[in-house]
Amino acid sequence: MEKHSRHQFRSNTLPALGTVGPVGIVLLGLVAVPLIYVGVMSFCSLDQYGNYIYQFTFDNYKNLLNPSYIQIYVQSLLIALATTIICIVLGYPFAYLIARTESKRKNLLYMLVIIPFWTNSLIRIYGWRTFLGDTGWLNSLLRGFGIIDAPIEFMYTRGATILGMVYCLFPFMILPLYSAIEKLDKNLLEASADLGAKGRKTLLNITIPLTKGGIFSGSIMVFIPCLGYFFVSDILGGGNSDVIGNLIQRQFQKANNWPLGAAISIILILITLVLVKAYQKAGGDMDSLGV
Amino acid sequence: MNKKLKKRIFKVSGTSFCALVYAFLFLPIVVIVTNSFNATTTKPYQTWKGFTFDWYVRLFDGSNASLLDSFKNTIIIAVTSTLLATVIGTLAAVGMYRYTFRGKSVIDGMLYIPVVIPEIVIGIALLTIFALVNVPRGMLTLILSHVSFSIPFVIFNVRARLAGYDNSIEEASMDLGAGRIGTLLRITLPVLTPGILGGALLAFTLSIDDVIISKFVAGNTYTFPLKVWDSIKSGVSPAVNALSTLILIGTIVFVVLTQSNLLKSEKRKSFKKKRKAR
Amino acid sequence: MKKLTAMIMAMAMTLSLFALLTGCGSDPSTEGTSGTAAQGGSINAYIWTEYVPESVIKAFETETGIKVNASFYSSNEELYAKLQSESSDAYDIILPSDYMIEKLVSQDMLAALDFSKLENFKNIGESYKNPEFDPGNVYSVPYLGGVAGIAVNTAKVTKEVKSYADLFDPAFANSIVALDDSRAVIGLTARSLGYSMNTADAAELDAIAAKLLTLKSNIKLYDSDSPKSALISGECSLGFAWSAEIALAMDENADIEIVFPTEGAYLFLDNWAIPKGSAKQDLALQFINYMLKAETMVDVLAEFPYVNPNEAALALLDESYTGNHAKNIPAEVFAKGEYIKNLDTATQAKYEEIWTNLKK
Repeated sequence: MEKHSRHQFRSNTLPALGTVGPVGIVLLGLVAVPLIYVGVMSFCSLDQYGNYIYQFTFDNYKNLLNPSYIQIYVQSLLIALATTIICIVLGYPFAYLIARTESKRKNLLYMLVIIPFWTNSLIRIYGWRTFLGDTGWLNSLLRGFGIIDAPIEFMYTRGATILGMVYCLFPFMILPLYSAIEKLDKNLLEASADLGAKGRKTLLNITIPLTKGGIFSGSIMVFIPCLGYFFVSDILGGGNSDVIGNLIQRQFQKANNWPLGAAISIILILITLVLVKAYQKAGGDMDSLGV
Repeated sequence: MNKKLKKRIFKVSGTSFCALVYAFLFLPIVVIVTNSFNATTTKPYQTWKGFTFDWYVRLFDGSNASLLDSFKNTIIIAVTSTLLATVIGTLAAVGMYRYTFRGKSVIDGMLYIPVVIPEIVIGIALLTIFALVNVPRGMLTLILSHVSFSIPFVIFNVRARLAGYDNSIEEASMDLGAGRIGTLLRITLPVLTPGILGGALLAFTLSIDDVIISKFVAGNTYTFPLKVWDSIKSGVSPAVNALSTLILIGTIVFVVLTQSNLLKSEKRKSFKKKRKAR
Repeated sequence: MKKLTAMIMAMAMTLSLFALLTGCGSDPSTEGTSGTAAQGGSINAYIWTEYVPESVIKAFETETGIKVNASFYSSNEELYAKLQSESSDAYDIILPSDYMIEKLVSQDMLAALDFSKLENFKNIGESYKNPEFDPGNVYSVPYLGGVAGIAVNTAKVTKEVKSYADLFDPAFANSIVALDDSRAVIGLTARSLGYSMNTADAAELDAIAAKLLTLKSNIKLYDSDSPKSALISGECSLGFAWSAEIALAMDENADIEIVFPTEGAYLFLDNWAIPKGSAKQDLALQFINYMLKAETMVDVLAEFPYVNPNEAALALLDESYTGNHAKNIPAEVFAKGEYIKNLDTATQAKYEEIWTNLKK
């Protein structure tokens, strides 16, 4: 940037302010200040009616150590981990196959991944409920064929929640994988094959290492939202497999204990920061998180 | 022979694997579309009672006014917030690329916050601040919130475009006497257009589907996703399915039109290139 | 590329035009706030899900020209949280239960009602007037009541179920649909142990917490909004649900029966009220008065057959309501049951902890 011509140095402040000022205001007013205020609120107390007052207390953080909360954090992390792993296992071969297809319809195949996501995600999740319910399509079908007598209970389980999470977040795994795999140099793969490397060897020694950036950013983009997607566990888990997001939502929209909800949010922010730091350490590119 | 067979098996299993994944992705869509033709009139509208077009009619006969209202709100919010986010985001991307100033790295870092932090945290943070300064929750707060979470996506998209941008054209333009603004409008913007459009499309998509953040800042205003959320509580009416089906058809038509156009213009370009090369 | 630009622009423009054209008329904030207008205007109502028929609201809108923007909550706590977080004029009509009325009054959040504009209040039965939670009906008028009863699918459940305590039977693993309502579920457990639903006693609460964990594996699904769905479909063979939900499930599925627990049931009475900050109290009163009409209540009860405090409406109802004990619940059930009371902050936190422990 230093080599920019003389024009750039004339007067930097005014145009910089004009172009970057608006975004600065938005980020300050709608991101930084609100998040700082959440931090402040997490140290607030409740009055006798359950409304928050500015009286310093550590109680909210102490309450976070309640064993039942800890169990929800663990459960939430496990759900997110399972979701991420399933997304990688399903998504990697899938992304590989569509990215390296020689078919003319490559673009179409890519678009077909995106199109379902233009339908409202809640109603698609509800579609799963219609499909998997005890009297849903699948159970009716299986019963119709006489395969089962009693309906299989898919719904309202942790498995159903994970299924919903995978479903909602799948494209966030596919997109970075797709672009990483597409960038792979075909010649490299061929050279490896020519040198006598077996398919598996090429995959392990060349393909996967070269596309690990895609795997990392996909994982971040699946894992973190998973911790907050309370609507999935609400609709499919029947309230039996809550994630951290449910915990926060309950404090703000039901229990009316904002300071506690704020403290849980701070924990969620910390988890996010740790994961993002790890991602950067592993050489992840921040910009590829914003596909 | 053996190798050929192996390759074949590999290919077939690969294709069927992909087909299964697509089936997984489209299954709920099939359920939604099918249920929009369900003749059932009793909650929770799950049992199949025969085929009907009634729900499409009922969508527009006034009995689903609140549903259509919510959809209208969603469109207003999405269009307004996309326009705002696109303008602010494009300006910012250009400014941050071009100028060095104090606090730049701070802004740069803050851009990632709405992208990586779970939406629910953004939602409650906005709620608390709106409650603190006592802004009545509604369209205004919805639009502000949507602007705040979509700006980074616009900036990233434009920035990606800027990365491959050749400054010398701009310098030439200025050397030839065009002002800063003239250069911006005539030279810079056209080059950035694909990035801007990509960002805008992403912002629009995020806005129309947002439920988590909206749930906290909507007050008593309904967006389409919030309406769906409410109807899930008591059973989603096939009218919602009918509207979703129409939206889906609309987007597919839109994509087909723009994509085929895109392909055509790409072809034309490459054709021109070829001719020039000769 | 230019074409793509033009196209996206065109789409954005048509969309915004469409939105603007249709949007002007219905934006509640742009409507007159005079409040005295007999015709027109709009009110924001925040009410229970599955409680006020859309057809009734529509009929009110056509009759008065007042538009009702309805949004919905699933528990009193949700209502309270929303009232606390929104600006004070966000809602003009709310529908809290007994104990929540008391809580809102204690915080000075409700407007005293002008009964000169509620001539239909005379339709309410004497036994429903002057309730303990709002002496003299200064702030509220009753709408519907009921109990949180037990639903039994007799085709699937062979054991006899008579009490809340029976729901804890390990034989019923993963078969109950329960209200997603902390006070109701904790109340159920308290009654099953012979305690009050409003106990603040530490030892009793510990016992409740322990007992509740044995219920966890029996609960398949939490649903306060439409528990009848899971009952009708047979997904759950037992239910802990609002009485009318059970009544509706019984109408759909003849195998389902309502059981009023021998310990005495969780009782509720929901009431219309106007938040103090409402700028449209006159319109809100018109709405309440409309809801108090006997004919209105007949329409309401056809869709949501709860217990009806409207005596004038009772005279218009036929056997299918009056003769159905799940709808027109016998007085002795009410005599035996218990209403929820407000808790102090510390006890409330304890209840919340018990609830989280159940839901994890």
